[in-house]
Amino acid sequence: MKRNPTTHAACSDAYPADMVSGASRRAFLRRSGQLALSGAALPFALNLAAMGEAAAFESSDYKALVCVFLYGGNDYANTVVTYDDPSHALYSQIRGSIALSKASLAATELLPATPLPDGRKYALHPSMPGLADLFNAGKAAVQLNVGPLVVPLTRAQYNSSNRALYPVPPKLFSHNDQQSVWQSSSPEGAASGWGGRIGDLAMGSNGNSLFTCISATGNAIFLSGQQALQYQMSTSGAVPISSVKSNVYGSSAVRSQIAAMVQRSSANDLENEYGRVTGRAIGSEQQITAALASANIATPFTAGNPLASQLKIVARLIAARTALSSRRQVFFVSLGGFDLHDNLIAQHPTALGRVSDAMTSFYNATVEMGIADKVTAFTASDFGRTLVSNGDGSDHGWGSHHLMVGGAVKGKAFYGSAPPVSNGNTTAAADQWHVGQGRLLPTTSVDQYAATLARWFGVSEPELNGILPNLRRFGTAGGRPDYPIDMGFMA
Amino acid sequence: MKTVVTSNPPADAVPEIAKIESFGPSRKAIVPASLLAAVLQACGGGGGSDGASAGGAASGAVPGTVTSGSAAADAVGNVGNVGNAASAKPATDAEAARFLLQAQFSASTEDIASVRNLGYAAWLSVQYGAVAGQTGWDWLNERGYDSNASVTAYYDQSYPADFMIWKQLITSPDGLRKRIALALSEIFVVSTGGIANRWRGHLMASWWDMLSGNALGNFRKLLEDATLHPAMGVYLNVRGSQKENASTGRQPDENYAREVMQLMTIGLSQLNPDGTVKKSNDGTPLDSYSLSDVTNLARVFTGYDFDLSRNDTSVSVGNTAFARLPMAFKTNLHSTLDATFLGTTVAGGGNGADSMKKALDTLFNHPNVGPFLSKQLIQRLVTSNPSPAYVGRVAALFADDGRGVRGNLAATVAAILLDREARDTTLSTSASAGRLREPVLRFVQWARTFGLQSAQGSWKIYDQSNPATQLGQSPLNSPSVFNFFRPGYVPPNTAIASAGNVAPEFQIVNETSVGGYLNFMQGAIRNGIYVNGADVPQASGGTVNGFDLTASYARERELVADAGALVARLNLLLAAGQLSDATVRDMVAALNTTPVTAASSDSVKLNRIGAAVLMVMASPEYLVQK
Repeated sequence: MKRNPTTHAACSDAYPADMVSGASRRAFLRRSGQLALSGAALPFALNLAAMGEAAAFESSDYKALVCVFLYGGNDYANTVVTYDDPSHALYSQIRGSIALSKASLAATELLPATPLPDGRKYALHPSMPGLADLFNAGKAAVQLNVGPLVVPLTRAQYNSSNRALYPVPPKLFSHNDQQSVWQSSSPEGAASGWGGRIGDLAMGSNGNSLFTCISATGNAIFLSGQQALQYQMSTSGAVPISSVKSNVYGSSAVRSQIAAMVQRSSANDLENEYGRVTGRAIGSEQQITAALASANIATPFTAGNPLASQLKIVARLIAARTALSSRRQVFFVSLGGFDLHDNLIAQHPTALGRVSDAMTSFYNATVEMGIADKVTAFTASDFGRTLVSNGDGSDHGWGSHHLMVGGAVKGKAFYGSAPPVSNGNTTAAADQWHVGQGRLLPTTSVDQYAATLARWFGVSEPELNGILPNLRRFGTAGGRPDYPIDMGFMA
Repeated sequence: MKTVVTSNPPADAVPEIAKIESFGPSRKAIVPASLLAAVLQACGGGGGSDGASAGGAASGAVPGTVTSGSAAADAVGNVGNVGNAASAKPATDAEAARFLLQAQFSASTEDIASVRNLGYAAWLSVQYGAVAGQTGWDWLNERGYDSNASVTAYYDQSYPADFMIWKQLITSPDGLRKRIALALSEIFVVSTGGIANRWRGHLMASWWDMLSGNALGNFRKLLEDATLHPAMGVYLNVRGSQKENASTGRQPDENYAREVMQLMTIGLSQLNPDGTVKKSNDGTPLDSYSLSDVTNLARVFTGYDFDLSRNDTSVSVGNTAFARLPMAFKTNLHSTLDATFLGTTVAGGGNGADSMKKALDTLFNHPNVGPFLSKQLIQRLVTSNPSPAYVGRVAALFADDGRGVRGNLAATVAAILLDREARDTTLSTSASAGRLREPVLRFVQWARTFGLQSAQGSWKIYDQSNPATQLGQSPLNSPSVFNFFRPGYVPPNTAIASAGNVAPEFQIVNETSVGGYLNFMQGAIRNGIYVNGADVPQASGGTVNGFDLTASYARERELVADAGALVARLNLLLAAGQLSDATVRDMVAALNTTPVTAASSDSVKLNRIGAAVLMVMASPEYLVQK
């Protein structure tokens, strides 16, 4: 794959969009190809049994997963805020000056159809009325205390020195590594992410396989598969390269020379890769630009909200799905500014307000397009943070609460376990679900969270282990039915 | 030793605080020639006489620089065995240009002649003593950005920092020192966009001046200056971090304690002296610190806040003085708990200075620092994938510069640039050779090579971070403390990944940024940078709108009628001669389709020059520095 001649190698799989039987055969071949590729070389070899039930992606409908990544490590305790009186009192006592008052949360209380055990209640941050409304309308749900796990762990096991029996995720509490672990199950330097691995299975369903995994923000390992590529889109669409499309300072010869040179193969790996990226950019731009020209959304997205700008281009790409022959897509968008060691009270409202505003607009756009039940957006972040205050903010943690939004989400509900509000370090039951200073010890793994989304998207159960390397240690098959591989939040 | 050296600083614009002890030894050149000679000796080449005579020769050429290093005898000749490049001279102009483009931002005809005349090592010794030029701080003040008038409200703007850093990178006379400072700014990251504080322009200028002042100094001082700098204090929250409070549950802020270990000194994993990761029997990397180390170290960094002793606190805006004073220590806000980390215990309740010294000494002396820092500096200057042996040789010089000094950055840089793995041009042809030039470096190289000037002195080059329409990278404007890209970034699904290699700069390469860069350069190369209000320092207002920043292309205009000569010159200065013959041929042919003679109009000439420069700067053979 190193010496691709010129342009967009990834586009070479393109087929006419209406060849449904061809699509089936193609997906079969793709999956067969992966099996052939895997062997001992791939760590997560796909299960042969998957071949028998690999029908989900062959349908003619459309589905999209949208990962909304909150860079910096979102403060869980002030996002999905504990609201029942006893818990809120504990929360206020532990957090002190960075606690939100109970009164400020009344308008964003989450009202699940089935109340949580032990009288536990939650509200969203006051700056998140849009998402609170979607929750209460049954279009959004909350996954409680989710984070990377290699195996289910108790606090005692976390504190054990027996890492053979009780492995912990690598490089906990480190931003870049936990971003990578969330997205790929491996620390920085990972070769692929679970969005991309899902894309490997889905790319045969799309007219242009390059448009399977699309980022509207920077590069993210989440979107790279064994074969699926992360394709980058600016918030205004694909960037046309002027010196390739038009005469350069009046010269067509210079234009031709640049167009050829910038995507030429090379014996130097770095040069060659730069040319491949440029070749993809050139090869796809016209198709994207043409398709987006008529893909307009009436639903307003707030100007000046960078996350809204990204989700708007995602919505427009979804609106252009027929023109682009896209049937299964994985998107990645992000917002920064969550590493609030300081100024949590001052700056968190803006950040969370943007999340709520942008995700609400995006949901409304999918309603406008009539495919609300075909598009699921979900949040992710480096990690949660400490429950205790450092005076003006909180420090790096582990588990966190996350939101799933879409018509196919079984909303108005919480999934997972509500963690005790605690920063104690005794053997009392209430102190067992954090690892110090209220850094949550996850009770749901990212693999379980991802598996639930992937199954809805069309990944068959046997294929899940190929996408999520630690999943086999969870669920009934892994001997842990208390950590199910399907959290149940998707229809 | 007859060394001393000085570059007289311009008169300070704020006399009453001119004598305040500020950051970095920026007021003096840092490297005695004897030390460099020792390094060269330790590098295994050279020989004292070469180094000394070269240094001596240099002193005549560059006013105010180093004299010869007779103390070469101090050298310990068996430290590095780096190669025989120390006394070597480049055999060709291309080899000289290649060295220059590793060591600084650009290569001029004069630079090439100088390196060929002096040899690599002696040229370095000259540069180590080069006059620093105006500081970023002084330029801000010269432009009036220290005004506290509310009508301009510079104290609430980021753009003075942007103008300052671009001006510094493009016009500073000491290209090597600034090049190293820029590399350090990607390891010790403070981002203008991440400082929501008054006077962030001055905070960033002071930060940059501190990095420049320490770039060829000692890493231990850099570490302390960075730790106590108010810009870092804001960025990673040492400023205002207080001791634990049992009644409120408050804990010290952990941010700086974590990142100073992870990003600036020791990294996450235990390292061998050659930078390879130590692993357990089952292949798991061994962590270099734990959560407990972070929590404990955080206690040392409590009790610090801006030093407002020279600010008029009766007005909310005050003045800039605090922005270049080390943060002040308040004993009553300092943790009273012992801090045990990395096998050391710093007693709680200390006086600040002693605790800080012990903590930073512990970090500085950690065996990871040399290989951790050396590898990243190699990646910034020479190649993304240095061999472990190369890292090991440089790290050895970091550990001991040949005179028993640890942390000598001048020695470390010399070891990087003089190493055979940096100098051997036969290595350039391997599939994994080189590094992708960062967009900022491409732009600065273009600006310096072709004499970019601001007609009105505005230097209004803003944040260029937008990947769709600009460079996708802007100096001192990283999106986070993790820099624009990570040293361990692996572009997925690539031959680079298959080969087990990394390519840090590819973290900002994608289908958006490749086009954004080309489109941006197409405009800048031909026409320059359009500026609103070039006649005034503030962002808006003024009456002069237009291309205030333009490249002169003085020498290119002389060659313009000869497309072959023009491309040959660009190939040498921009790409160190690394464009292939076929590429050069194609470029020349493309240019010759539009005839240009001495009698052609200026516009036609500029079209050809612009086309030639754009073609070179678009070429992957240029983009990858090998």
